[in-house]
Amino acid sequence: MLGQVVISGLLAGALYAMVALGLGLIFGVMRVLNVSHGPLLMLGAYTTFWFFQWLGLNPYLSLVVSMPLLFLVGVVLQRFFVSRVVDAPELSSLLLTFGISIALVNLAQLAFTADLRSVEYLTGSFLLGPFAFSKSRVIACLFAIVITTGAFLFLKMTRLGKAIRAVSQSREVAQVCGVDVGRIHMIAFGIGSALAAAGGTLVAVMVAIQPEMGQVYTFKSFLVIVLGGAGNYPGALLGGLLLGLIEQVSSLFLTTQVNEAVAYVLLVLVLLVRPTGLLTGRAQ
Amino acid sequence: MATLLWSLGAVTLALLLGTAPAQAQAPIKIGASLSLTGTYAKPGTYQKEGYEVCADELNAKGGLLGRKVEFVMYDDQSSTQTAQRLYEKLITEDKVDAVMGPYSSGITESVAGITEKYKKVLVSPLAATTSIFRQGRKYIFMVISPAEVYLEGLVDMAARRGLKTIAVINEDTLFPKASTAGTVDMAKKKGLQIVLQESYPKGNTDFSALLVKLKAANPDIVAAATYFDDAVAITRQMRELNVNPKMFAVTVGGDIPEFYTLLKQNGEYVYGSTQWDEALPYPGQKEFLSAYTKKFKHEPSYHAAAGYAGCLIYAEAVKRAKSLDADLVRAELLKLKLRTAFGDYAVDHDGFQTAHKMVMIQWQDGKRIVVWPEDLANGKARYPTPPWNQR
Amino acid sequence: MLPPAFCVLLIALAVYPLEGTGYGIRFMLQLFMWIALAQSWNLISGLTGYVSFGHIAFFGMGAYTAGILIVKLGWPWLWASLAGGVGALVLALVIGWPCLRLKGPYFAIAMLGLNEVLRVAVSYFEGLTGGGSGLSLPALYASVPIYYAMGLVALAVTALAYVIVTSRFGLRLMTIREDEVAAEAMGIDTFRYKLYAFLLSAVGPGIVGGLAARDQSYIEPISVFPLIMTITMIVMVLFGGKGTIWGPVLGAVLLFTLQEMIWARFIYVHQLLFGAIIVAVVLLMPRGILGVLQQKYNLPRTI
Repeated sequence: MLGQVVISGLLAGALYAMVALGLGLIFGVMRVLNVSHGPLLMLGAYTTFWFFQWLGLNPYLSLVVSMPLLFLVGVVLQRFFVSRVVDAPELSSLLLTFGISIALVNLAQLAFTADLRSVEYLTGSFLLGPFAFSKSRVIACLFAIVITTGAFLFLKMTRLGKAIRAVSQSREVAQVCGVDVGRIHMIAFGIGSALAAAGGTLVAVMVAIQPEMGQVYTFKSFLVIVLGGAGNYPGALLGGLLLGLIEQVSSLFLTTQVNEAVAYVLLVLVLLVRPTGLLTGRAQ
Repeated sequence: MATLLWSLGAVTLALLLGTAPAQAQAPIKIGASLSLTGTYAKPGTYQKEGYEVCADELNAKGGLLGRKVEFVMYDDQSSTQTAQRLYEKLITEDKVDAVMGPYSSGITESVAGITEKYKKVLVSPLAATTSIFRQGRKYIFMVISPAEVYLEGLVDMAARRGLKTIAVINEDTLFPKASTAGTVDMAKKKGLQIVLQESYPKGNTDFSALLVKLKAANPDIVAAATYFDDAVAITRQMRELNVNPKMFAVTVGGDIPEFYTLLKQNGEYVYGSTQWDEALPYPGQKEFLSAYTKKFKHEPSYHAAAGYAGCLIYAEAVKRAKSLDADLVRAELLKLKLRTAFGDYAVDHDGFQTAHKMVMIQWQDGKRIVVWPEDLANGKARYPTPPWNQR
Repeated sequence: MLPPAFCVLLIALAVYPLEGTGYGIRFMLQLFMWIALAQSWNLISGLTGYVSFGHIAFFGMGAYTAGILIVKLGWPWLWASLAGGVGALVLALVIGWPCLRLKGPYFAIAMLGLNEVLRVAVSYFEGLTGGGSGLSLPALYASVPIYYAMGLVALAVTALAYVIVTSRFGLRLMTIREDEVAAEAMGIDTFRYKLYAFLLSAVGPGIVGGLAARDQSYIEPISVFPLIMTITMIVMVLFGGKGTIWGPVLGAVLLFTLQEMIWARFIYVHQLLFGAIIVAVVLLMPRGILGVLQQKYNLPRTI
């Protein structure tokens, strides 16, 4: 039992890590807590659903659609809304993204109705001895690993990636070095949204799709950022895995009811004891 | 400052004006709040449709007490607070002649206090929780079978086949909890052993850890007291984790067509409980079905049938009392024994339903087949449910 | 002392129950509730700038505290509601103590998850709270006294806001909002002041939670910890003008009335509108309607 649960936890954790990386990028670069991260994930899921429904497009292939699409959405949101509050007190950006998240969820309710949708593409599991691994979860994990690795390589190796990291560390210095900070902000928000969308696409095959589905991912992403340390991108990875593990294991030993409280208590403890994150040495 | 005063003044004025006494109207106005949006949107809408079909039928036959019947319905958005405000509005402002119940036990419980206060009879077609009817209320009447017996069929069938162990999981809200309590009780009486009993929060989507525990307990039967979303998720995740009980039943949600539309093949062999099925041999079924499908272009669910029946039951009591007076109607409702397209109606002194029978269906080849009780069944149960990888 | 127009209004509201219908009384009583809630949120978030996303938790806490006292110990509802305020206060202390040491965004995250935890706690302590089945209070029709009680709480919280905004304490809170680092450099113990504001902001919702529980005679976890109530509180304050005294009142009156008369019929449009209003206010009218009026008509700063 424990073995099964640990593996389930890690599978889920990889997905959390990818989605949280998106949130972390936005926070690291702009110091904006994007409360609408969950709804962006939801939009990614719906994109996959509709393309599957209308064109029979393989849900995993739809990553090619959902990620760029939400990248654009993210850029637009940043350009027209978020950019105006990047320098304002944090209250403003929090409230703004909060407002955007409500608007997105309800737009989805109006456009798509609250009816549950599902992408019946891959059901069943791989059976390995006493363990059963849901096929869709395993594949989601694999894709998450690939995408996250891709994101890291991008950040480390490309000029744009380095520019993004530079702005995360110090906006003024980056500007002095000739980086177009405004453009970097848009791109970072776009990438963050694209990562959320990827999460949505992968999740679309596993769970029921409905407008409110993203909310829980917003909180989980915040949690991962706290665990890993804000601005600490590799930290987000480990934080995600840790969260996945803790969730599944606590469900086993406690009841499903108490599950959510465990995550929350963990959050408060970490914030109290090591606010810079479990895994980071440098303060951001 | 001035704006504030003006707006407060305007509001007060509007309210005062709105309370002018309404003229006595010829049609009988029946008020209700239904959940047309929010979590209960689907069943709430079906219930509303049932009310409308009933009104049409009554009016086609000359109305009630010689007057037309007209429903005044609002959307309570699946919220108890809103529903309370709306019933108060219906009774004190719209001055309806009568009221009918809303959707769900929770909302019915919250508005029952209001209807008792104003002494209005409340026939509640979609409230299945016993506790609502055992608080000494005088004007509330139950139409459907109580939550506790939803899975009576499952337990009965299991015991007759000599099965020994059962796991019960439920959503942590009013109705599923009552259902679980009843199921556990019946199971124990029939000598079944409860190997796992756990509840999960409303809105939970990940049942994997719970199902891992359940699989380890290896029950013969799995009973899930659910609503719709969780029923679908649990079934799907049982497939993913390769959980193979010999019988698996859900409560609400298992009997709605969307269950199979979403799950397709994975929905086969699942048992569901329902208050009504169109195949049941009750009088007036054909007329109800044709009137409903003609008006709404889709098949009715049991919620629609219950709404329809509840309204007919109320109308019958009014006819016998020859009046709309709450106490006279109440006396008739207590005595009344009636069989409608929905089934039997008879209540005890608390207004608690005693005659109506639940049935169990099973999904076979994409169709719902009634498999229990025997005298109402139109097919045999496919037993045992084969393991996932052998289908 | 108080402007005469205001006194007339108070008298009108005081005699309304004699004329009003059951529905009208309930409408006004809920309006008072929203004024109290919005004003309380204003005390922490409007004045200190610390966004409390989970504020409705105090409402739920008050509702359950009062509900349990009424059902299990037979307390009269007035005392039970006041006890609800105390319960909320305790909760605020427990949460605020660790979380207010953190900077703004982290506090917001912590508050976001609070509701969920409380829902879980309610389910866990089933024997006491009835868990998911909810809690049914013994029947009592007290809309009129509750109307007055809610009205008094709304008045009290508004008066509290007035006192705070015009005091040194309020000034210090606003300093924290403007620039917390500078405030600390000036020697203000930001943690302590934030905590006081937080505690004060929890009492109002706690008491009205208890009153609302009595009025509805039935509480279940979903109905007392819903996100939409937090959203509504926030929109009311932002729209009216955060950090002001009359802003929350204005926002509550306008939005609740509009909601009841028009929007409630279109639930998703209604919520969408709230989201849009939040965005519009943050970008275009950061000081709310009152802020706009203040500029146009040169109204006093503390209004």
